[in-house]
Amino acid sequence: MVERTEQGDVVGRVLGTADATPLTFWVAVAPGAYLQLDDVVVTNREMPDGSTVTIAGVVTAVRARHEGAQFDSDVFAIADGTLPAQVQEAAEITTTRVQPEVYVPPAPGAIVHRAEGDARASALYFDNMQRKVPMGFGRDGAPVFLNADFLDGSRGAHVSISGISGVATKTSFATFLLYSVFRCGALGGAGESANSRALIFNVKGEDLLFLDHPNARLDESTIDAYNKLGLTAGPFPDVRVYAPPRPGDSSGTPDVSSRHTGVDSFYWTLAEFCELRLLPFVFADADDERQQYTMVVHAVTAHLARVAVPADSGISIDGTRIGGYAELVDYLVNQLNDDATRGIWTGSAVGLGTVNAFARRLIGSKKDLARLIRGDLAVRRPHSINTAESAQVTVVDLHNLPDRAQRFVVGVTLKSEFERKEKAGTAKPLLFVVLDELNKYAPREGSSPIKEVLLDIAERGRSLGVVLIGAQQTASEVERRIVSNSAIRVVGRLDPAEASRPEYGFLPPAQRQRALLAKPGTMFVAQPEIPVPLCVEFPFPSWATRPSEAGPPPNATLRSIVQASDPFAVVGASTKSLEDDDIPF
Amino acid sequence: MRLHVDGWDPGYGASFDSNGDGPGSQSSAETVTDVELPESDWRPIPRRDDLVSPSTVLLVDGVRRIDAGVWVTGEDGVPHRGLAASYAAGVVRCDLERGVADVAGALVKRGLFTSSPTASDVMVGSVRYTPHQLGRDDQATLIGGVQAQLAALEAAVSGETRTAGDLLVVDGPLKNRQHLPRAIGYVKTHRVEYLPAAPTAVVTALKAQERSPVFRIGTNWQRYAWYLRLPTTSSAPWAGIVRIECAAELSTVDAVALADLSVVTLPRFASTAYKDPRAPQNLVPIAGLERRLRSMLGDARLLYRTLVHAAHTVVGAP
Repeated sequence: MVERTEQGDVVGRVLGTADATPLTFWVAVAPGAYLQLDDVVVTNREMPDGSTVTIAGVVTAVRARHEGAQFDSDVFAIADGTLPAQVQEAAEITTTRVQPEVYVPPAPGAIVHRAEGDARASALYFDNMQRKVPMGFGRDGAPVFLNADFLDGSRGAHVSISGISGVATKTSFATFLLYSVFRCGALGGAGESANSRALIFNVKGEDLLFLDHPNARLDESTIDAYNKLGLTAGPFPDVRVYAPPRPGDSSGTPDVSSRHTGVDSFYWTLAEFCELRLLPFVFADADDERQQYTMVVHAVTAHLARVAVPADSGISIDGTRIGGYAELVDYLVNQLNDDATRGIWTGSAVGLGTVNAFARRLIGSKKDLARLIRGDLAVRRPHSINTAESAQVTVVDLHNLPDRAQRFVVGVTLKSEFERKEKAGTAKPLLFVVLDELNKYAPREGSSPIKEVLLDIAERGRSLGVVLIGAQQTASEVERRIVSNSAIRVVGRLDPAEASRPEYGFLPPAQRQRALLAKPGTMFVAQPEIPVPLCVEFPFPSWATRPSEAGPPPNATLRSIVQASDPFAVVGASTKSLEDDDIPF
Repeated sequence: MRLHVDGWDPGYGASFDSNGDGPGSQSSAETVTDVELPESDWRPIPRRDDLVSPSTVLLVDGVRRIDAGVWVTGEDGVPHRGLAASYAAGVVRCDLERGVADVAGALVKRGLFTSSPTASDVMVGSVRYTPHQLGRDDQATLIGGVQAQLAALEAAVSGETRTAGDLLVVDGPLKNRQHLPRAIGYVKTHRVEYLPAAPTAVVTALKAQERSPVFRIGTNWQRYAWYLRLPTTSSAPWAGIVRIECAAELSTVDAVALADLSVVTLPRFASTAYKDPRAPQNLVPIAGLERRLRSMLGDARLLYRTLVHAAHTVVGAP
C-alpha cells in the first residue's frame, strides 16, 4: 500500500471530513503507513494556472478511532469479532512552510508524503540556513538544526531554557548546544570558533567540573549519533575550572572534592573589592532591594574606592591596615557607629536607623564572603576570572557557596565580563554565558545589581557579542524582558501549572501537553524562522557529567599544576579545520 | 427521455415493515411438525454444550434507499412514475478465533425503477442509475422491483468468500440461496404463524438459548425451519424469538445438526436494547454491516441534489 515518490513515502491523503485550512489540516493515514508526532510531511496543490503550491508541515496530533462504532461498548463487540469496524488513523498537520506563499488549503484527497531529504530540509527551513548548528535528532531520526544567525547575534541572540528540575536536562542541553556551536564550525572560520568563549556557572553538584574528561560510558551508538550530526564525540578540549577557596584555609586552595587536578581558585583581593566598587553586589539579595539603605551602600562604596590604598596583599584606610573581609566589615561598622566619622562615610542626610540596617546586613555577610574577598594571599597570584585570558570554556563552581556568595560571584563576574566586552567594542569573538536558575538572579519583581547586569546583557549583549544561555524552572518568574529578548526558546519537561502560563504561548496546545511528559533528553526548541517548535532529542553527553563517568583526565589538567597553558599548542588546533598555516584569529 | 424529480419523498410511503413482535395471521402453508420429534412430544430443546460454534461466521445483509421519486417521460410524451434507488449488499466475516470482523465483500448498485419502456442510464456526476423496467408504475410494484434487485444482489455476494467449516447466515428467508452449503436463513419478524396451537405454545415457552424442534414448511418453496429464542430481558411471548431456515434438500439429520449449531452460534451475536431498537433479533454484525452499507450508499441529500440538477441538464445519458 505504501508507495514512494521522489518527495518520499506516501503516508495518506488530506481528510475531507474536517476543515483543511492553509495553516492546519488533517491527514487520513493510509493502511500500512503510520505518522507519529513531529513527523514532517509535504503535500501539493495544483493551482488553476498550472503552478504547484507545496505545503509542508509537522504532525502535531495523531488519533485513531473505530469507524462504524456508535457506542463506547462497541469496542468489545469489535474486538470479539462480531461487529465489523475499521480502524482509521488521522494526523493533524500544522503547516510550517508554503511555497510559493499562496495560502490556499490543501485539497481534500491530496496525497501526503513523508518528507525526506531536501523536502524535509525545506519544510523545516534548513535550506534557508546558511550556518547551521546541529541540535540533535527529530523524532524521525534525522538531524535538526538551529540557525546560527539567531544565536550569535547576527539576527538574534540568547537562549532561554525552561523545565522542571531533574528530568528536563536543561544544563545538559545547554552544554550540548555549546559543544555543538564550538565544534560545528557555524561561528565562522576555525579561528573564530577557537576564540569564542563560554562562561558556565556550575550551581548544582560538581556536575560541570568534568567537561574536559571523556565520558567512560560513551558507546558506539552515541559516537555514531555525534557523527551523524557532523560532530566528533569527545570532551570539551579546552576547559578551565575555577572554584572558591576552601573556607578557613589560609592558603586559598580550591574547595572541590571530586576533581583533584586542573582547578584554580578564584577570589577578589580587598584592593580590587574597593577599587572596582564591588560592595553593592554584597547586597544583591531579594530582600535587599526593598530596603532603604541602598543610598548608604553607594555612599560607602564610593568613599571606600576613594580612601582605600593597597598595602601588601590587603589594604590600608587612613593608616589602618586591613587584612581580610571580616576586618574590613568591622572597621566599616566602627566608622559608622562613631558619630565623628559616620558623616564622612554616609553623607549627612541619612538616618541612624538606615545606617544600622546597613551595618547589620554588612555584618551578616562576613561569614559568607570572607573566603571570597581576601587580604591574606599573595597579590601576584592569579585569582580572577577572565574569560579572555582563560580557556575556551570557563567553569565557575558555585555549588559550595551560600546564596549571598553565589549572587556576589555571578554579579561581579558578569559585570566585569560585560564591561570588558563593552570596552573591546567588537562583538567577535563571542562570549556565551550559561547561567542556571535565572529566576533567582533576574526575578520578575524588583531590581538588583545582578538583574541590571543581566538585563544589560539581554538587551545589549546581542551587539556586544555576549550570548546568554539562561536556564530556569519557571520562565514565568524570570524578568519578562530577558525572556522576550531570547531568540531561541527551549522547553523540556514542564510542570503542568507552569505549562499553562502565557510565557509558553509559543508551544501549540498539543506540544504543551507533551511537554508535561517529555522524557530526559527531549526538548522543544522554538526558533524565530520556524513557526512550530521542533522536538529534539540530543545525544548523550560525550563528556563526563559526574565523577563516576569521568574517564582519564586530559593532559592539560595535569600540566596545569605547573603551568596553565601549553606553549607549543597551536591556537585553535582544538577545532577541526585549522591548519598550521592559518592565521588563528 | 426526460426526467423530472418529484419534490415529495416517496420513502415516507414506502415503509411496509411490520413492527409487531408476534405473527399476525395464520399461514396457509403446509407444515410438517414431526420431523425431529412427533408433535405430541414437542418440547424446548436446550443448547448442546458439547458443540462449539464455527470459527468463521459469515453474515449477509442488504440495505436500500430511495433517493428520489421521478417522472420519466419518453418520446411519446407519456409520463411514467419511477424511483431512483440505491441499494447495497455485503458480507461480514466474523473470525471468532482471531476476534476480527470485517466486511468481506460489498456491492453497491443504483437503479432507476420505472415502467417506461424508453428509460436509459442516468449519469449524475460519477454515479450511474441503471434502468429496470417494471410492468406497472404503482408504488408497491416499484418498491418490489427494488427489493427484488436487492435480493439478487444479496444472493450474488452470499456465495463469495466461503471457507471450509464456516456458517453462512442470510438475513431474511433463504429463498434463492438454498443451494449454498452450510447456509441458514435468519428471519426476524413473524408475519404469519406456521404452527398449530400446541406447538406454538412450545415456541412461546422457549427460554433463552433454547430452540423448538425442527419442522418443515412448504409454501411455494420447501425448507426446514425452527424457532430460537435469543437472550433477552423482555418476557413477552415472542420477544427475542427468530425463525431459522435451512434448505429442504438436506437430510433431517443435517438439518437438526444445523439447528443445534445455530443455538450455540447466534446468541453471541444478539444485540442489546439500548443500542438497537430491534434488539436482540437484529444481530450486532448485521447492524454494523448495515451502517457500513448505508454509508456506502452515499449521502442522500447529495444524490437528491445531483438528481435534481441532472433532471434539468441531462436528457438520457451517454
